[in-house]
Amino acid sequence: MSNLESLKFFWPELILSATALIAILSDLIYERKDSHKVSFWAIGGLLLTFITIRLFGGSSINGLFMGTMALDPFSEFFKILIVLSTIIVMLMSFNSSELDGYRKGEYYTIMSIMAFGLVMMTSAIDVLMFYVAIEIVSIMSFFLAGYLKRNPNSNEASLKYVIYGAFSSGVMLYGLSILFGLTGETNFFAIKNAISQLGPDSNLALILSIVFILVGLGYKISAVPFHFWTPDVYEGSPTSITAYLSVAPKAAGFALIIRFFNIAFGSNSAMGSDEWSSLNSLPWPFLIALLSAATMTIGNLVAIQQQSVKRMLAYSSIAHAGYMMMAIPVMSQSGIYGLMIYLFMYMLMNLGAFFVVMYVQDKFDGENFDAFNGLGWKMPLLGISMTLFMVALTGLPPTSGFVGKFYIFAAVIEAGNQYYWLAFVGVINSVVSLYYYIKVVRHMYFEGERSDIVSLPESKLTTSLVLVLALPTFFLGWYFSPLVEWANNSLNFFLGI
Amino acid sequence: MYRDFGTILFLVFMGIVLIYAPLVIQKLLAPNDPNADKLATYECGEESEGSAWVQFNIRFYVVALIFLIFDVEVVFLFPWAVVFNELGLLAFVEMGIFLLILMLGLAYVWRRSDLDWVKYNVKYGRGRYSNLYKKSQTIKGS
Repeated sequence: MSNLESLKFFWPELILSATALIAILSDLIYERKDSHKVSFWAIGGLLLTFITIRLFGGSSINGLFMGTMALDPFSEFFKILIVLSTIIVMLMSFNSSELDGYRKGEYYTIMSIMAFGLVMMTSAIDVLMFYVAIEIVSIMSFFLAGYLKRNPNSNEASLKYVIYGAFSSGVMLYGLSILFGLTGETNFFAIKNAISQLGPDSNLALILSIVFILVGLGYKISAVPFHFWTPDVYEGSPTSITAYLSVAPKAAGFALIIRFFNIAFGSNSAMGSDEWSSLNSLPWPFLIALLSAATMTIGNLVAIQQQSVKRMLAYSSIAHAGYMMMAIPVMSQSGIYGLMIYLFMYMLMNLGAFFVVMYVQDKFDGENFDAFNGLGWKMPLLGISMTLFMVALTGLPPTSGFVGKFYIFAAVIEAGNQYYWLAFVGVINSVVSLYYYIKVVRHMYFEGERSDIVSLPESKLTTSLVLVLALPTFFLGWYFSPLVEWANNSLNFFLGI
Repeated sequence: MYRDFGTILFLVFMGIVLIYAPLVIQKLLAPNDPNADKLATYECGEESEGSAWVQFNIRFYVVALIFLIFDVEVVFLFPWAVVFNELGLLAFVEMGIFLLILMLGLAYVWRRSDLDWVKYNVKYGRGRYSNLYKKSQTIKGS
């Protein structure tokens, strides 16, 4: 489909880019003290994007922009996830005192550009588009990580992020160029056709390119050998941005991994039936399973030793990337929709946890466990919500975290005895993670003095945002069938040119 | 197929030899007799002063970035202008949108007063600009 014809299926993205332009234009007009008002434009634009995604949803159109983008229910699910988390994080930033003293207009502009890049990532079906989308996201996240420019930690975070990002995307480009050299194609489907005609001679080169591409994608979702940037960047960035980085790029990264590996390296029956296998029996599922086991183990073990809650949550997000990666090697529909359900739950509980951390950081001036002492007595709403988020992150039954984990583990067990070991590692890790999550609860209720003066957060926005995140976290643990149905309907990739 | 890589290995090997051979030969043949003038950095006949590792004002980089706006613009405008007649109105509109977004960048730096070299409204200035902010405040106040 030619570029001009494609534009009429591209409304959400067009509105998002117009949002970014309007945001920066309005920031030129506002005075410094009014600069935060840009957020109204940005949030309005995102809401409009959300509506258009729903309006144009349900259709499956292939080969937009000369076969580089796809519009399908699968990308729609992730687009909604990304736009929702962007709106929530923008609302979170309203009350962030870290950002006081900086111009906030650019902050919201950059966030809307980043949302645009993420939305592109979810629907790219061409290697070039995939790379361009990843770079838009990366460069914008470098800016956001270093947004507190008078804070050395934030500068350090930005610099580390740039160096790791540049290196890993360089390695990924090398892998992509090997792949292009072998197949001569950039479209995922064309790559698959070309690979299935290659003999077993080229398997070595293919494995090399898969490993290199995994470096770039693993960096985006902070999988283990490529996770070293995560704790430092998460610690130095403004807390609202940490929350954003731990959710939205991960969601888009997983969307890209699922699409790329299942289309380019999966057998022909991909998504058509419930059974498929890797092309030319390349061992990439095993590779991802191995990375997944390493990711959750290291994430959990290092999280135990952390003193700062923010750093602990950074390692816990590495561990969660590991749980989510379990769903990819099993190569079944139930695996993929388990991952989608998990991502949705993870968005709610992780944003919630970071929001409470941000509030505590602002009010009690510290992000260590000690800053949480007695919080449960002083502010019951925050205490109860934080407990809920922690229990949900562990994956215990009455919360949504359990539902997410249940679907992923069920998919892994369903795949047969070749992945029993992976499920076993996952279960052991969930038990380990209980220790450091409950540590937060212990500090909130059993350490520090118990006070009888109870208060709510001063701002109504804070209270309502905590409730908006906490209530679904709780109730999706009881009544999750609409979400499961939605994820199940969103499973359709588009299958051919 | 693998034997063909022998040629490449040979090229790599020759590349290494061709770099190091002259260095080794000149080490063996050339007389080694340094003095202060010989070791000094050549700077167009001027005597060099201080180290090259000084900190530059970050605004040089800002100017470089502003330059990029126009540079990229020209790079895209040339091929467009060459085939303008064949492309017609659509390309004109597309280029208009592109220029509009780029000009937004220019408006942005202008409004942020990044085009002024001497900044009167910088609170955190150092060195010889450090009192300018105070001065500008007193001028405003009087």
